[in-house]
Amino acid sequence: MSDDELNPVIHTPARLRIMVTLATLRDGDDLSFTGLQDLTGLTPGNLITHLRKLEDAEYVTTNKNGSGVTARTAVAITQEGRSALREYSTVLRELLDSAGMSQNENLPA
Amino acid sequence: MQDSTGTDRDVNDQGLTMDAAAAASIMAEASDRARRRLQPNLRAFYAVRGAIWILGYGLIWLAVRGQHPFHGPNAGGYAAVVLISAAAVGLTAGQVQAETGLRGRSVLRRWAYMLSVLAGFCAIFALEGALVHAGASPSVVGIFEASAPILVLGLLCLVRFSAERNWVAAGLGLWMVLVAAVGGYAGPATVWAVGAVAVGLAFLLAAAVEARVRRA
Repeated sequence: MSDDELNPVIHTPARLRIMVTLATLRDGDDLSFTGLQDLTGLTPGNLITHLRKLEDAEYVTTNKNGSGVTARTAVAITQEGRSALREYSTVLRELLDSAGMSQNENLPA
Repeated sequence: MQDSTGTDRDVNDQGLTMDAAAAASIMAEASDRARRRLQPNLRAFYAVRGAIWILGYGLIWLAVRGQHPFHGPNAGGYAAVVLISAAAVGLTAGQVQAETGLRGRSVLRRWAYMLSVLAGFCAIFALEGALVHAGASPSVVGIFEASAPILVLGLLCLVRFSAERNWVAAGLGLWMVLVAAVGGYAGPATVWAVGAVAVGLAFLLAAAVEARVRRA
């Protein structure tokens, strides 16, 4: 088993942070762009770039409401995104198990 | 740039490599950070609410104990009610602040719950007025005053948290309904002590259970 089996869309530090953060939201909830930026520590430019890739894969949705100073971009994870992250987590556990590493105990369910 | 497996597949868009161990570490750290920020700290919430409940109901009990005949709380008792209300508002404000940036069904559910509590308390005050107007004795009004808030909060907790499958909070709601139902038999003064101990300690127990669940 190798790292090649990990989903390449998710397997980058920035996108993994974004996906894990959004996966903590309950179904039907979303997070503001600035809230997500704050939690992931990414710059606005970086966050936009990574969100586009995740959106192309249909793992996240972004919705812009309002205009001007009242504009708010809301980001949410899709069911496909949750499934992909679960699968990623399963493969990661197996990889860590096969390598005899113990970090898998700290992985979110 | 190559990772430990000898491929360049793990090179991310910022030019950093990430192996499986690093990915696991990022997942754990990001999940922990998001949960701390986006989900209310129930352990602290229960503990503070338990302390407020013991203090508030306890102060009213101190104000009314030994009254013969019973005539209800004095200014100290009403100060306790103000203390409970102010603390509840403070807790709610803290909760709302903690969810900055979060929007959706769970936020709507929380606001609906808070509005229901407000409506329930307004109804209690209105009903109490009707009881006094109808000539109910201070003892009857006293039992109602102590039991009705517990009943309203208990029922709302039970309905909301059963739906969310939060069994600690739902169990707490059920316990509050039971305390409200039987506490009045202790009499118009002792009912406040029953509320302070039975509900306050239940909140503290819920805090302990929540802490244990989090550790597990």
